[in-house]
Amino acid sequence: MSDAKSIEQGREAWQRDTLEPRLAEAPERKHPFTTQAMGWPVDRLYTPQNLDAIGFDYVRDVGFPGEYPYTRGTDPNGYRSDLWTMMQVSGFGTGEDWAERGRYMLDQGLTGLFLEYDLPTTNGLDSDHPLAVGEVGRAGIAVDSLDDMEALLDLPFDKLQRLTSICNGPQTVNLAMILAALKRRGIDPGSFTLQMPNAILIEYTCVGRYIFPPDHGLRVAIDALEYSIQNHPNWIPISVVSAQLYAAYANPVQELAFSFAIAKEYLDAALARGFDIDTLAPYFSFITGIDMDFFEAVGKLRAYRKVWARIMREEYGAKRPESEQLSLTASPGTMSLTLQQPLNNIARLGIQMLACVIGNGGHAMNTPLHDEAHALPTEDAIAVGAAVQNIVAHETGVADTVDPLAGSYYVETMTRRIEDAVFEELAKIESMGGALAAIKTGYFQKELARQQYERTRAIEDGSRVLVGVNHSVREGEKRNIEIHKHDPDVEHRQIRKLERLRAERDGIATRRALDRLRDAARSGENLVPPCLEAVNAYATHGEMCGALRDVFGEYHPDSLTTGIS
Amino acid sequence: MARRTRVLLAKLGLDAHTIGVNVIAQALRDAGMEVIYSGLKQTPEMVANTAIQEDVDVIGMSSLSAAHMTHFPRVVELLRERGAGDKLVIGGGVIPDEDSAALLEKGIERVFTMGTATTEIIAYIEAWQAGRGAGRDT
Repeated sequence: MSDAKSIEQGREAWQRDTLEPRLAEAPERKHPFTTQAMGWPVDRLYTPQNLDAIGFDYVRDVGFPGEYPYTRGTDPNGYRSDLWTMMQVSGFGTGEDWAERGRYMLDQGLTGLFLEYDLPTTNGLDSDHPLAVGEVGRAGIAVDSLDDMEALLDLPFDKLQRLTSICNGPQTVNLAMILAALKRRGIDPGSFTLQMPNAILIEYTCVGRYIFPPDHGLRVAIDALEYSIQNHPNWIPISVVSAQLYAAYANPVQELAFSFAIAKEYLDAALARGFDIDTLAPYFSFITGIDMDFFEAVGKLRAYRKVWARIMREEYGAKRPESEQLSLTASPGTMSLTLQQPLNNIARLGIQMLACVIGNGGHAMNTPLHDEAHALPTEDAIAVGAAVQNIVAHETGVADTVDPLAGSYYVETMTRRIEDAVFEELAKIESMGGALAAIKTGYFQKELARQQYERTRAIEDGSRVLVGVNHSVREGEKRNIEIHKHDPDVEHRQIRKLERLRAERDGIATRRALDRLRDAARSGENLVPPCLEAVNAYATHGEMCGALRDVFGEYHPDSLTTGIS
Repeated sequence: MARRTRVLLAKLGLDAHTIGVNVIAQALRDAGMEVIYSGLKQTPEMVANTAIQEDVDVIGMSSLSAAHMTHFPRVVELLRERGAGDKLVIGGGVIPDEDSAALLEKGIERVFTMGTATTEIIAYIEAWQAGRGAGRDT
């Protein structure tokens, strides 16, 4: 084993005798080299000296997989026992339209589905609301009533391990719809995992699909969380979707720090209802997005697990290993996909999947698809996306040993640097009063808006290379892929169905159930049971959200908190 | 003295994708224009009202879902009905080619799809303003 002194001497000699002659004949192609998102300098060479400089300690910093601090992964055997759940995001049309697509996706070998609802649904409006024009069934599935949810859950549940339902604003309403529909279909809720991102604080930060003011939005989320933990202990009732922060151009440090600050708001709100940390924390999960800088991505995934474990142990006093083990879903990033030369995106997805697996990115992964910059994915793109996951899983060998980049001088340096910077940013957010305060004052939004502008400028001035956009551009290029066609008849069909439902239901029972929901909203009791009653009385999604709006009001952020001020 | 070009940037309907509008707002400001941002969930009536009240020169509407086909043309109609048809109305976002062609026929002067350089949009607005008489005097 070489000691520090001989490495230092060797390095000096190498620099003088070997490197410098090479630099004299071939100067470097860039100055400085920096990481893509953080802009941190990248050294020419990483050696054991870098590990000495950060005081790297194998047991303390890395340890063993399945053990604290989980840098090497939460599964002691990595992907050698189980591969990840292979998922894709999908949603369009009516419940019936989408169920057909869902069955196709499961036939492609996927084992989990992400449900995206259309904008009227996520904004708590029925399909016949004036603001819904043009949007019904467009960017997701239209769900107005129990009938729609029952139609969309016409899936082979024996093939489905996980269903992720993204309806962050009205989560209790959406949960009640799912519960009632499962019951009517005779499906055992314990036979699969329902993941509710329930990610309302991310919506206020950057996605925008909120309905109620933030404090009420948080209460709705914690109601869904509480009900789920008490009644469906195998489900995942809350996920911090840090992928949305990444998709809003947060750098890895912001992504982790904002996400952990948000997770702490949820934790504190739930602890205040009497949960203890070791009951609560194992229910928390995170969904991250992977960018193109391979080593930043791997470092981020490793730091993600380690920071969570430390927060749990050091700040919350968690005792159970399950509390410290980060539950993570990773997805290659939509923000690195280009509209231009869309087939290039397949290469990007492959590289990002590789980073996901090498960084031990989680128990479930989903691939976005190469045509997503154009429109909703086509069936061909779904098949290619599923193939990308299987190629990485079965053809590359990267899933065959656990955390293969551990000990890399560069990767360990990167992991530590991200870890330290995240704690620094978290301290800053805490000094502002935490995530809710940072949202209300617009701090998160402004930070993201700045990143968005800087990244755009870097692409425009060429300092950030994007092939097909500012590099290898082919003049007069034509779009060379088929894109998904929106069915213009969806809106009409959905509205007719809704009108029929309103005409045929027992209107008095519906009204009574909605009054009861308003009372529950005022009284502070958990909203899921009254939502279930209302769903079963055929109250529509928009009517239930309307009842909650009557009590909570609507959120209209001022320009200060939009990020553009 | 020529006043600065005033631009209203607007998000109509339920579409909440804001990166494009965030970036354009900062780029236009850096180019010396005055930018007013509507916020989310605007109706065509709200946008037309704001455009008239704020006396803007340019209205830029961003759409990354379906809002463009119904809402963009309605804004143009409302402006014309209220005698404000001289304002430059442009759109941007994820807008398929066939939709762009239809929007141009309905009075949207130009549609910038995703990936357009901010410099191109700035140059377009400046050229339009110059063609109109180098801004109005205040």
